[in-house]
Amino acid sequence: MEHSIAIRDLTKRYGDFTAVSNLSLEVEPGSICGLLGPNGAGKSTTFKCLLGLARPTSGSFAIEGKALTPATFESLAYVPEKSALYENLTLAQHLEYYRRCYARYDAARAGELVEMFKLERKKKVGRYSKGQRTAVALILAFSLRPRIFVLDEPASGLDPIFQRLVLDLMIEAAAGGATILFSSHQIGQVERAADRVAILKNGTLVVDGSVDELKTTEKIVEAIFASAAPDIDGLASDPRVRRIERSGRIVRAYVRDGSDAIVKRFEEFSPRDVTVMDLGLEDIFLTAVDGRDATIPHGDQP
Amino acid sequence: MPAIFTVDPRSGVPLYLQVIEQVKRAVALGTLAPGEQLPTVKSLALDLTVNPNTVARAYRDLERDGIIETSPGRGSFVRANGAPGEALRAAEDVAAALLGESVRQAKALGLERPRIAALLEDVLGRWFPEIGEE
Repeated sequence: MEHSIAIRDLTKRYGDFTAVSNLSLEVEPGSICGLLGPNGAGKSTTFKCLLGLARPTSGSFAIEGKALTPATFESLAYVPEKSALYENLTLAQHLEYYRRCYARYDAARAGELVEMFKLERKKKVGRYSKGQRTAVALILAFSLRPRIFVLDEPASGLDPIFQRLVLDLMIEAAAGGATILFSSHQIGQVERAADRVAILKNGTLVVDGSVDELKTTEKIVEAIFASAAPDIDGLASDPRVRRIERSGRIVRAYVRDGSDAIVKRFEEFSPRDVTVMDLGLEDIFLTAVDGRDATIPHGDQP
Repeated sequence: MPAIFTVDPRSGVPLYLQVIEQVKRAVALGTLAPGEQLPTVKSLALDLTVNPNTVARAYRDLERDGIIETSPGRGSFVRANGAPGEALRAAEDVAAALLGESVRQAKALGLERPRIAALLEDVLGRWFPEIGEE
């Protein structure tokens, strides 16, 4: 199957600073991929390079199997972090501008979206709040019914009700076959809407996989002993164990792909209890970016 | 209309497994009757605000397990033939997981098997009084 979006070996340096390092990411048709990372991790830079708005130091890109050309934008919509809108035009004038510029502009859809976001058509966009400006940019993007969406923090500045609306719009588009790559600071949004998550740290991709698959493989195994926790030979160097926490009679091992084997290791030492705990995406994210674990090899990564 | 299922996206339990569990529970409780149509992937994804591929994966697994059947163009339905058996099995799956976790925790608290068995008998007596009382 042809990838909707393919980024291969992207590196972007600004002078001595490496914003993105050797990043490869592919998004399949109909998938929603959430890009997470602390501020400055390289999310926006990745989007800008992908869309030809910044020149990559090295790397290549393909949208639906083809190199980027002006024609690419007939099937792709990009909503940048800071929406590019005309301050002195009203919302109605923005919609009219889109109607004239884009043959595929869907005026009925735009009308529905304006209602949903409860915006005043006659107000100048410059007088809108940050959240309302985000809404305008999203209305324009979704009115073009693109096959591919690249959304840089699409819910920023919106209240929880409109944030949920944005997720619903993304889910509806994906159910209709659209592909979405979006960045967010809100892990809960990615956890709901995305089937795929990529986590960036200091310009490097540290996690890339299906959200459900990560939740299946990432576990905490906690053992409680009757007296002080024993020293378990080779546990710290076990490739499945990414981190160990000890406190008195308790040992906790953060495990990827092999919690059963780690449970057996603990059971050799007759613990009072061994529990396998599931990890939410927030814990997976924090474990991935907190510096205790520089790179996490996963799945089909070499 | 409220969604017929609820899921907790923040939980560490994969969402597709939560959807599977919810459908099994609904079949076991009879809130989804044999032959009844399930929501489409798109409408359930929108009801729950979760990824459509997640719902689609749950439906595929439920079909593989014989709980539902999908006919292209018509939608997904709770299996009509042999459905009582499937419903019972679905109920047992859900109940076994819950009981297993309770027993595990009782053991972790240091109780021996005979003590846990006695406690289980007490609990059974409370919920099924006609068996306990002469």
